Amino acid sequence: MKRNAARGTTATMAPILEERKSSIMTADGCGGAGIACDKVSVSGSVSQRACAYCGARVVLNPITNACHIIHGPIGCSSYTWDIRGSLTSGEDLFRHSFCTDMRETDIIFGGEKKLIASIDEAVEALHPKVIFVYATCIVGIIGDDVHQVCADAEERHGIRVIPVQAPGFSGTKSTGYRLGGQAIMDLIGSNPFPRERAHGVNILGDFNLAGETWIVKGYCAHLGIDVVTGITGDASVEGLMRAPEAKVNVVQCAGSMSALAETMETELDIPFIKVSFYGIEDTTSSLVRMAEALGDERVVRATRDFCSEETRKLEPLIARYTPLLAGKRAAIYVGGGFKAISLIRQFREFGIETVMVGTQTGRPEDYDVIRSLVNPGCVILDDANPAELERFMVEKGADILVGGVKERPLAYKLGVAFCDHNHERKHPLAGYVGVRNFAEEINSSMNSPVWRYV
Amino acid sequence: MPASHASKLIKPEGALVDLNVNPCKMCMPMGTSQAVYGIRACMEILHGSQGCATYIRRHMATHYNEPIDIASSSLTEQGAVYGGKANLFKGIDNLIRLYNPGVIAVCTTCMADTIGEDVPGMLNLWRDEHPESEATLIAVSSPGYAGTQFEGWFRFLHALVSQVEVAKPSNNETSPSSRQRPLVNIITGPTSPADMRWIKSLVGRFDVDAIFLPDISDNLDGARSPKYNRLSTSGTDIADVARMSQAQATIELATFIPDDYSPAAYLHKHHGVPYTRLNLPVGLRDIDAFIAEFARISGDPVPTDLTAARGRYLDAMIDSHKYNAEGRAVVFGEPDFCYAVCRMCVEEGIVPVVVATGSRCPGFAEAIEPMVAELASAFLVDGFDVVDDADFGDIERLAVKRGANIMVGSSDGRRIEAKCGIPLVRCEFPIHDHVGGQRVRTMGYEGSLMLLDTITNSLLQRKTSTFRAAIRDEFYEGPGPTVASPSQMEHSSDAPSSSVPSAVPAARIHPCFEDACPATARIHLPVAPVCNISCNYCVRRFDCPNESRPGVVTKVLSPQEALERYLLARTRVESLDVVGIAGPGDALANWEQVRETLRLIRAVDESVLFCLSTNGLLLPRYADELIELGVTHVTVTMNAVDPIVGAQIYRQVTLDHITYTGEAAAAVLLSNQIAGIKYLTSRGILVKVNCVLIEGVNDRHIDAVAAMAAELGATMANIMPMIPVPGSPFGNRPLVKNSTVRSTRERCEQYLPQMRHCHQCRADAIGKLGEDVRALFDEKPEGAVRHQVAGIAEEDPNRRVVDAPRDGSTASHPQKRVPHVSRVAVASRGGMLVDQHFGHAKAFLIYETDGQEVRYRDRRVLKNYCSGSSDCDEHEQTDEAYKRVLEAIGDCDAVVSLRIGEAPRKMLCASGILPIATCETVEDAVREAHAERLATQGSPPLDASC
Repeated sequence: MKRNAARGTTATMAPILEERKSSIMTADGCGGAGIACDKVSVSGSVSQRACAYCGARVVLNPITNACHIIHGPIGCSSYTWDIRGSLTSGEDLFRHSFCTDMRETDIIFGGEKKLIASIDEAVEALHPKVIFVYATCIVGIIGDDVHQVCADAEERHGIRVIPVQAPGFSGTKSTGYRLGGQAIMDLIGSNPFPRERAHGVNILGDFNLAGETWIVKGYCAHLGIDVVTGITGDASVEGLMRAPEAKVNVVQCAGSMSALAETMETELDIPFIKVSFYGIEDTTSSLVRMAEALGDERVVRATRDFCSEETRKLEPLIARYTPLLAGKRAAIYVGGGFKAISLIRQFREFGIETVMVGTQTGRPEDYDVIRSLVNPGCVILDDANPAELERFMVEKGADILVGGVKERPLAYKLGVAFCDHNHERKHPLAGYVGVRNFAEEINSSMNSPVWRYV
Repeated sequence: MPASHASKLIKPEGALVDLNVNPCKMCMPMGTSQAVYGIRACMEILHGSQGCATYIRRHMATHYNEPIDIASSSLTEQGAVYGGKANLFKGIDNLIRLYNPGVIAVCTTCMADTIGEDVPGMLNLWRDEHPESEATLIAVSSPGYAGTQFEGWFRFLHALVSQVEVAKPSNNETSPSSRQRPLVNIITGPTSPADMRWIKSLVGRFDVDAIFLPDISDNLDGARSPKYNRLSTSGTDIADVARMSQAQATIELATFIPDDYSPAAYLHKHHGVPYTRLNLPVGLRDIDAFIAEFARISGDPVPTDLTAARGRYLDAMIDSHKYNAEGRAVVFGEPDFCYAVCRMCVEEGIVPVVVATGSRCPGFAEAIEPMVAELASAFLVDGFDVVDDADFGDIERLAVKRGANIMVGSSDGRRIEAKCGIPLVRCEFPIHDHVGGQRVRTMGYEGSLMLLDTITNSLLQRKTSTFRAAIRDEFYEGPGPTVASPSQMEHSSDAPSSSVPSAVPAARIHPCFEDACPATARIHLPVAPVCNISCNYCVRRFDCPNESRPGVVTKVLSPQEALERYLLARTRVESLDVVGIAGPGDALANWEQVRETLRLIRAVDESVLFCLSTNGLLLPRYADELIELGVTHVTVTMNAVDPIVGAQIYRQVTLDHITYTGEAAAAVLLSNQIAGIKYLTSRGILVKVNCVLIEGVNDRHIDAVAAMAAELGATMANIMPMIPVPGSPFGNRPLVKNSTVRSTRERCEQYLPQMRHCHQCRADAIGKLGEDVRALFDEKPEGAVRHQVAGIAEEDPNRRVVDAPRDGSTASHPQKRVPHVSRVAVASRGGMLVDQHFGHAKAFLIYETDGQEVRYRDRRVLKNYCSGSSDCDEHEQTDEAYKRVLEAIGDCDAVVSLRIGEAPRKMLCASGILPIATCETVEDAVREAHAERLATQGSPPLDASC
């Protein structure tokens, strides 16, 4: 069943805002100036990005037995309550949203008293190991001394109460990632573990969405690679505290965790490697690289064997799906650069060309790689808005969009299939098992009979 | 007299006062954003930081399944300090460029109000600067801390009617006939698009000229169209808003709206338009009132089909009332929604035992308590709670306390639904986990009936799926809590009336514990290889024969693999409701693995049923943990209740590193089995006792086993013939006759129900009893991977690769190399891809390849080769930099980087190192470098080819 992309749907092309032009480019092989990125969003452009607070929440939220208190008005708490599919093997305190629910009087008279009372109440009722206190926009403005409140609470209760000063306006989501990483360093401390006794790896930047951390840990267990802790997928406070013991940090979602990995390298003497478990090729090279970084020849060999066996097992799958998928055109709009890069390559495994690719928080290096990877003519965007996504999906005749929840209805309105490579996914897309799920998902959306009727 | 708690100030015990636990409300800008979608060609810009707009867009997009575009003025720290005027103006300009909206709602967030932004003043300034603009700008003060989405919705509408310039009544454009049609404003609170469509079609039946404010019916539930419009094409026209002051009447569908921002009150006060406030048209009385109001205004009679629809609704109410009389409802959401649903419930005889709104709402309890109290008295329900300013921490606690059996609200109640087993009817914003939020109907006779039927059917579903077990448990199995599930015990103590089913999870069916093979499928996860007893009918080499067919070896899975197997099975096997651990050894002898497996699976599936099989030796030790993990069905193999008989069956029993033999072994096992079974059944766990019938050993003893099992509270016995396994001590015994098995079972029936459909499954069986579908999983030969790993482990354990040096020293460079192996330096930030410029590399990863295998050697750190253009101008520094690079990677054959400048390229070539620019994966790039090197070998010196 062949079909034309964006069939049956026309759209009025919106103009590109002047300020946005430098963040949009057409791939032309290598060379030329880079794309403008890693900047604050343009006012009124309808950016798809969230805020700094969101970034910090993303990074810290999966710590399962921590109490996350949002010091601010209710919206910040309501919109981040249990919306990410991070799974837990232990406690599920993190799936609750605790908030000081600031009202008008708190704005006028300050929210410190309420925060103090809230922390006391949380300690008494929940006995958490650690409390993270997120300072939201208004807290940053009315000047509550969150640091002092947390320091006093630590003394009073004898547990860690860690302030996360990430008011939404303080930067982009990337700023929040960095601040979340700082809070983790605050928790785990900066005393290096004796290197000669270091063992195993930490897995950074996998948040155990749909159990993906477990899949990676499962591979590691099978291959004899010791995983100290996920940071922060299915992490417990106790597990995190052992993070300094790791020999190597393995960084999966580079966008959110690069800063932390770098800090851990400087302060804790833990080198890091970047990996991606999306797609056969990346999963294999990541596992091999992990094994090599640990330096045990037997593990390396076992890993190579395991990977070629797993790859071989997927060959029939690729062979079955490729005729259904080859020649289609993909559009990608995701959070970070590393995922976009993996997706371009994963689509290629099925003979699908990427015609539009953008990210919310990609860095210049990510875009360098993307430029080199895609075919000439592919549109590359940083911090895009709906009008641009609409324009380029239609213009480039995309058959499928990979994106976040907000982008899904737009794709459907344009007659474009959709892949939920986002925090809401309910099936894993990582590892070898993820390849199967990815193939099933993109095929079932692109080759759905519903498009016959539009 | 029923008691009720009315306010958070006197919160019941256990509630948190300062901390909001799981909010049952959103903030004002959510309400403004929803109402904005009821105005044609209107766009919203939220004045504040970027996240507010994005979060609201996500929330609305998942509920309505429509693209939601909301702009933000994207305030930053600078804005926070110096004010956000520049950002706001730029935002408005950009919004006009991108969308060209007719109306722009500028709504404030917490941040804008806190830094004291004068938005109305700024908008005046903007209008002065843009006299040519036709856009209508509306300023809305909607800081998140000052109210919920409910207030936000009305604040926007109030701003609209008070800021849109009033149209002058024109005399020439209306014909005499249309002049007679009364103009009516219909202002609605938060509704679903489908309900809004119903309101419009109903009003259309009467001879009135109606203005609906707002009208979200099409914009938030759009039809498929060949043309996509970014800007809303339906909704209330701003020109109609301008005409509202000329209406003969306003009907405001809202109950708890303060006059301060009631659009109807505004129109009345400033333009003399009389208004009527009606409850949302949900439930018989309020729908009647709504229709009657239009009949009154228009002078038309009520259309007969509406009368007929009313009759059908009433008829259905009567048909369902007895089922619904068992309903003890939790109603939560916005104040008006709660009020409307409560009115509907009490008409039907469903007792709203908990009514909770997240908004702070004066008058809420006073309005709702009397109606609930009246019904509660009639039905002898002892207590209920009506609370405003509530969170889900309160709602969960009260729901359990009041023995609720149904919840009506948004999908935010889903966690209580899962945890407490109270079904949730989703009919209020937001609905994130189901589809159809935009199509939910609650209004009008058909809409209310749809909601009522959904509630009734949820109650019926509970009833029909639980009554058999519940009645059997109460009257057949004997009294007391011994057979109730733990959650039943927990909740029933507080239940208002014994005839009302309390919050019990829906009954679930286990294929082995039913009296025939039901449609339920199960998966056995072979995670337990070790056994702690030796039976004479068993050969250790094979799986335990009492659960599995003889001579079978199962590939043992790790907990991770088991999880994967389960996840895969779930996608391929229908009604896979049971996960079982049945060996191949004893489940409890492998407790770590079993526990981990169950935990992993529980984390991804809250409802699947857990069972396990054991010889019972370790039951007393792990019973509590089993129950905690949610294991509900346990099978204990008990072949004897007399140590003398047992001694003939068990060779040895190992407990805590002590091995017992003979009668001691049998006695140790037996005492633990008895203690374990007794404890489990007292905690409500269903226990099946398996008994292997061995002719000449325990065949005359089975009756005693069954009697003991019954006494211990077991639910069922499964008497199985021993299958002689060659090589076992009992290997040469004859097969037990079917007739013997049959007669033994018949005799034992007097003690316990007998399982007669046992298939003696494998430890890794998948599917329904009797139809193992393992083949679907197309497994490779058992244990292949395992053997590979084992093979490797047997190699010389001292062979290790030297650790990569981290200090960048070049001392450890391997000296000699095989000529056909290339050593390649790679510029890569992390090692996945070649993703770094040569000049930016702080370190190189060193790889070796023979063209096939690519092997990582080490990492060489160097000071940045290029740290800026000024450096590069200096020859000396450049030379110094070259030297450093060559020191680090001089022994390499090639360097791979994303890009490389001309000067360094020449330098490398001159040193005999091949520079390659690529963006491949490291492996491919290294192979490419190797191939290139081979290709250039034998050709003239490298710099010629460079």
